[in-house]
Amino acid sequence: MENLVLSKEKLPEMLTEIASKYALFGPIEENGVTSFKHISNSQEINLDYLRSRISPKDLIFQQTETLFTFSKGKEVKVNTPQIDEAKRVIFGIRSCDARGYSILDPVFEGKREGDYKDPFYTKKRNRSTLIGLSCNKPEVNCFCTSFDDSPASMKNVDILFTDIGEKYFIDIVTEKGKELIENLGNLFSKASEEDGEVRERVEQDAINAITRHMNTEGVVEKLEKMFNHELWQKTAMRCIGCGICTYLCPTCHCFDMQDEATLKEGARIRVWDSCMYPEYTMHASGHNPRPARMNRVRNRVYHKFSYFPKNDKIFACTGCGRCIDYCPVNIDIIDVIAKVKEAKI
Amino acid sequence: MVDLKNLIEITKKIVSREDVRYVVGYKKGTYGFQIMPAFAYTPEDAEDFIYSPVCSKNLAVYTILEEKLPLKRGEEEDKRKIGVVVKGCDSRAIVQIIQEKGLKREDLVLIGIPCKGVIEPKKIEKMFPNQTDLIDVIENDNSEYIINIGGKTHKVPKNELLSDVCKSCEFPNPPLYDVLLGEEVEITEIEEFSKIDELDEKHTEDKWEYWKRHFERCIRCYACREACPLCYCKECMADTLNPQWIRRSVNLSENAAWNIMRAYHLAGRCVSCGECERVCPVNIPLMELNKKIERDVKKMFDYTSGLDEEEKPLFGMFKPDDPEDFIL
Amino acid sequence: MTKNPYQPMLATVVDIKEEVSGNRAIKTFKLEFQDEKVKENFSFLPGQTIMISLFGTGESMFAISSSPTEKGYIEVSVMKLGKVTNALHEMVVGDTVGARGPYGNHFDIEGWKKKNLLFIGGGIGQAPLRSLLNYCLDNRSDYDNLEVIYGARTSEDICFKEKFDEMQKQQDVDVHLSIDVQEKGWDHYVGFVPANLQRLNPSPENTIAITCGPPIMIKFVIQNLLELGFKENQIYTTLEMRMKCGIGICGRCNIGNIYVCKDGPVFSYDQLKDLEGDM
Repeated sequence: MENLVLSKEKLPEMLTEIASKYALFGPIEENGVTSFKHISNSQEINLDYLRSRISPKDLIFQQTETLFTFSKGKEVKVNTPQIDEAKRVIFGIRSCDARGYSILDPVFEGKREGDYKDPFYTKKRNRSTLIGLSCNKPEVNCFCTSFDDSPASMKNVDILFTDIGEKYFIDIVTEKGKELIENLGNLFSKASEEDGEVRERVEQDAINAITRHMNTEGVVEKLEKMFNHELWQKTAMRCIGCGICTYLCPTCHCFDMQDEATLKEGARIRVWDSCMYPEYTMHASGHNPRPARMNRVRNRVYHKFSYFPKNDKIFACTGCGRCIDYCPVNIDIIDVIAKVKEAKI
Repeated sequence: MVDLKNLIEITKKIVSREDVRYVVGYKKGTYGFQIMPAFAYTPEDAEDFIYSPVCSKNLAVYTILEEKLPLKRGEEEDKRKIGVVVKGCDSRAIVQIIQEKGLKREDLVLIGIPCKGVIEPKKIEKMFPNQTDLIDVIENDNSEYIINIGGKTHKVPKNELLSDVCKSCEFPNPPLYDVLLGEEVEITEIEEFSKIDELDEKHTEDKWEYWKRHFERCIRCYACREACPLCYCKECMADTLNPQWIRRSVNLSENAAWNIMRAYHLAGRCVSCGECERVCPVNIPLMELNKKIERDVKKMFDYTSGLDEEEKPLFGMFKPDDPEDFIL
Repeated sequence: MTKNPYQPMLATVVDIKEEVSGNRAIKTFKLEFQDEKVKENFSFLPGQTIMISLFGTGESMFAISSSPTEKGYIEVSVMKLGKVTNALHEMVVGDTVGARGPYGNHFDIEGWKKKNLLFIGGGIGQAPLRSLLNYCLDNRSDYDNLEVIYGARTSEDICFKEKFDEMQKQQDVDVHLSIDVQEKGWDHYVGFVPANLQRLNPSPENTIAITCGPPIMIKFVIQNLLELGFKENQIYTTLEMRMKCGIGICGRCNIGNIYVCKDGPVFSYDQLKDLEGDM
């Protein structure tokens, strides 16, 4: 498809145009914390960020969601709430986070035989158009390139914006993306050959700026033989058992379901859960299959680097680096995988 | 300044003792300014131990963290002591837990560090972002931090990087220790934790607006709880299902309930190490809550937590002249 | 709109039978779907599970303990243990619960035809076995010898007791009961289930052994079965894990890369023995 450019001055106009036709979501900063929120005014958007603190997975897989409501008493009635039908545009998503959606898809969309489809995820996902924004300056814990991805990857977005100085270079990737651009009128102009060259240079510079790497070659096979390795106990000794790594992760998707009710009515809600909490697997009998932090840390690493690849042929890690950035005790997944590679078995 | 050789030698000696299982200290992390908690089971493990102004983490949490798993047949409980490297506030946390009978003094070996204050990781990472290589930080006698990055030496005035809680710290020296590394630190100036005054003067509605904005951001990861050495209840009130005090829904109402209950459960117990705020991934100023309660406790009961292990915990005792005008 | 897999169907409690009373009370609840179509068409196989909702309290997964040959209703046998099961035990006939399912895999009722089936159960672990056992009794000629080894802590804790008595008398099933400690008037075996199994020394010849009970019992039963000459693919068990979604999404019931809710709960020892995971 033909490549376009948008002058930076016209960005607010474009966002306003999008907001008038779609539900627009984009990065907003609040008290130093960037997260993706519904945007009603283009001024709210803050593009001076690299990686949102909270990953945009919460736009599709909300932290709290009502699964159904019910009335109590003799005549019980159960009702599924209307799922947001609006067409959405998610602007400014980074390639790693867009990849996060692709990793979650087989979980919620039921890609394997006999799987169930989650309508809450599926509907929001299918109705979203992703406008990616390339990363010009990756941070210390960015390692998307370790997963054959790039800071300016077009793999999982519909449209990709790349900051090339005075303007954005626009790659239109999918039909959905093309439709959106056509819907926005005359804001764009044709990209020149030089624009294209700058875009390539920006991408290459960004790739070169990535200093940390994870070597995942042979990790699935190695982990097969390491379930009882001392590495897990050693790593878990310093884990304090909080939920930061799981809640900030763009691919963690475990949830709890609970009833929140008054005497007359209530709702079954689902809410993000964390495999780092002992309650997560605790049986009513008191038996806990993962009683120690060792079991829980090991399960998290295995889920991402063994179970997920075995079931869905992909590592459940995007290289976004959030878990490394915010772990209070420096449990560093790049380091953990390096130790797996080194481990004697 | 802590003599590293001395720290390592002492740790080696302690970990060699038959009645000691392991010693928890600090070692270099995986990149930049990171440090990580380190566990020495053998004298060799202790070789990695360091202490520097970036060692902000409160290691007292590790005294209450280890799960007691059911013993296998023929297995005996390992009753050996745990050694911990403690700064002033870390030691106070342990004193407080001992007061509450959550720990026994004889189960611990404490390596005390007279603390000159720690660097706030968020501040130093902002000043020198994106450091892949490991960087040493030392403090000189001129209240400056000396930071060596790629052959270039930076001198940064201490005040620019010092953790806010350290600026108002009254107890930099560990009240309880077995060995003290170096001379006790003299307290020169103490800044008031100023933000409380600002908030105190506000109207109730404005206070609520202020906190609402922060609580709305909470993702309920419970890092504040897990990082806190004094949050050691076997079952947290936030996790009980029957009765369920706090619903799991992440919204303003439940988030406020969590944050306020957390702060209140630390009344007369918090030692102002600042770890909860430090680990919060969404920048909630939790220390403003903790400090406010600390000040009220001081005013009403003339009580300071974590100073004397023989003392009774504030809410574990009753005095006839306790104030009661706040009771409805 | 797309079907909401989390929303349960409504069912009425039509009968409650107290199997065991006291601290470890067990009740069997007979449930009838309120929607006539669902009531007629709901089908499942022995070993499958169902998610039962108590609106306002929560949801728990249970093995269906009735047989698919019993039409128009399902039964679940539940020990009073946690929040949901406590509330369930408070239910009275006529109350409404939610039910979604059936979930998971099932016992191989087709493949096991013309074989001897050996049921080894402990405590409430008999619930999923009951579904299979009742199915076999209703199709008695399809199966060869049926033998039951069942144990409970005390004689008071034995569930489905009347059924055991009746089976032994009328339906050509060998039943071997046991309790953990001697009691006055108990004339069956005293000791743990794995020991009783060893003592009875059943032949592995053309036999499938199916076991369910506390994890520690399962472990020793399997060990003893192997010693008795049972092959790994002759031994089956059904597992339990904490579950929330029941449909392979929420993540918590995994053992390695297997989800118990979806890939289980029925496993042969052949599948389990190499499975590394937290159980």
